[in-house]
Amino acid sequence: MTASLRAWARRYGALIRAGWLVDVQYRAAIVIWLILGVAQPAITLAVWWSVAGGGEVGGFGQADFARYFFAVMLIDQATLAWDIWYIDRWIREGELNFRLARPMNPLHEAIADNLAYKGKSVVLIALVWFLIAVFWPAVRLPFDPGRLALAAIATTLAAAIRFLTSYVNGLLAFWTTRATAIAELHWGVSLFLAGRIAPLSLLPPAVASVAGVLWFPYMLAFPVEILTGTLTDADAILSGFGWQLVWLAAWTCAYLFVWTRGRRRYGAVGG
Amino acid sequence: MERWVGRPAGDAGADRRQSGDGAPTPTPAPARPARPEGAGWPARLRRALGVLRAFWAANLAEELEYRANFLASLFATIFWLGMAVLTAAVFFRQTEELGGWGFWEVVALLGVFNAIGGIVDAVLRPNIGRIVDLVRRGTLDLILSKPVDAQFHVSFRRLVVWRLADVAFGLALSVFALTRIDRAPGVDAVVAFLLTLAAAFAIVYALWLGLMSFAFWFVDVENLGILFDALYEAGRFPVSAYPAPIRFVLVYLVPIAWITTVPAATLTGRGGWATSLAAAFVAVAALVLSRLLWRAALRRYTSAGG
Repeated sequence: MTASLRAWARRYGALIRAGWLVDVQYRAAIVIWLILGVAQPAITLAVWWSVAGGGEVGGFGQADFARYFFAVMLIDQATLAWDIWYIDRWIREGELNFRLARPMNPLHEAIADNLAYKGKSVVLIALVWFLIAVFWPAVRLPFDPGRLALAAIATTLAAAIRFLTSYVNGLLAFWTTRATAIAELHWGVSLFLAGRIAPLSLLPPAVASVAGVLWFPYMLAFPVEILTGTLTDADAILSGFGWQLVWLAAWTCAYLFVWTRGRRRYGAVGG
Repeated sequence: MERWVGRPAGDAGADRRQSGDGAPTPTPAPARPARPEGAGWPARLRRALGVLRAFWAANLAEELEYRANFLASLFATIFWLGMAVLTAAVFFRQTEELGGWGFWEVVALLGVFNAIGGIVDAVLRPNIGRIVDLVRRGTLDLILSKPVDAQFHVSFRRLVVWRLADVAFGLALSVFALTRIDRAPGVDAVVAFLLTLAAAFAIVYALWLGLMSFAFWFVDVENLGILFDALYEAGRFPVSAYPAPIRFVLVYLVPIAWITTVPAATLTGRGGWATSLAAAFVAVAALVLSRLLWRAALRRYTSAGG
């Protein structure tokens, strides 16, 4: 047991190191992707800031919006998964072949890449947030270790769900050449249902309640609201974690289904 | 003039020395962009149009091979237009106006945003967006040795024709939004709108060319075009909807305000002639600056392996 555990730790160590080194090679490109990642929340924040003015909008004042969207930037980077773009290419261009020949599921490589990538981007955003908070009191969070711990757990689960949606979406390339188009649609819907355009409580109640039973808010809005302290009610937090587990399980099943079926269909294009 | 429709060659089409046969072009000196000596503006313009027609006829032939893409692309256009309008609707649930603009005025702006985004995807991204690649691989050599201006070739060689649907649907959305406001634009407003829209295209082009000229200095950054996307996000809303410091940046430093806010303001009757003329001035200045930057960048180019 411990021996196999150690073997896995060694494998992951190697994979993460490899992913890390590739990223370092492309560091400038990664910073540019990071800028695109924060552009949308920053612009949305700027507009809400003006709308709120000196008053409140649906219970949100200017500072609340600022904290919310800073948290969105951080959690978005912590949960970001590019996998759809990679897997789609692996399958279409036959880059999956040598990965299938390895004595290890390609899933592990993807997970390790994600860990290596997020290590960098999350630290960078958190650092920038900290520096801005020194000068701009609106984005300061009260220090509360318990809440930070809860937010960390929720973020980890959110990252797992988002990773699986991206990975499964990528595996659809076994059947269709439009897997990336499906990813775009998923992204478009998540703008609203994951809480990127506005906190969910500002959406029409019907939309917010539909979102509540889907996986979207549990990939972003839920950890964001724990982190900013908007969500303090114990029942609400428990039910949020419950939904995260439900959707994690559902997407895991979807992964197993698509992976087993898809491999049978795979015709190994290219070489 | 004979229409040139050839094999959709990649950039390796070095065998194709000249496209518009019959045009009054002197034999160009090798390895230099052609400068037809003694030819005046009309001849140069006619020649440029002939080359452009040859480029795009080849592209059209290529794209028509993939007709299924058209439906998918159309669907994406309509989906993203809907999402953009819904985004505005989310804000307008909480407020009566964004920076003094009513809902339908913002929708008219979103139409312009979409139309210009369509031009970016149809012409700029597939052309100027590849400069980094050309520089890194040294394939820019092939373009520099052709008898057309390198900037012209690099800017307009390709056309992703389906994305022009974004232009059509975007402008249609703007017109629809106008019918919802009781402010039908007069002829002068339409002329002013077309002027500011042309200025907006010119500014977007200059931004891309300027951005991509940096590829000559930063060869290992392959996604410079993403920086434009990040900036362009700010064009979704009228600049008056932003806090003052951001507004200042968008008007005077990165000219995003001139790309979407100004044409939409002209269309909805908010901008006067002074604004339109200012837009034209900004456009000319942006074009000249970006051309200078491009020439400076070309002088740095040391060819493949250099």
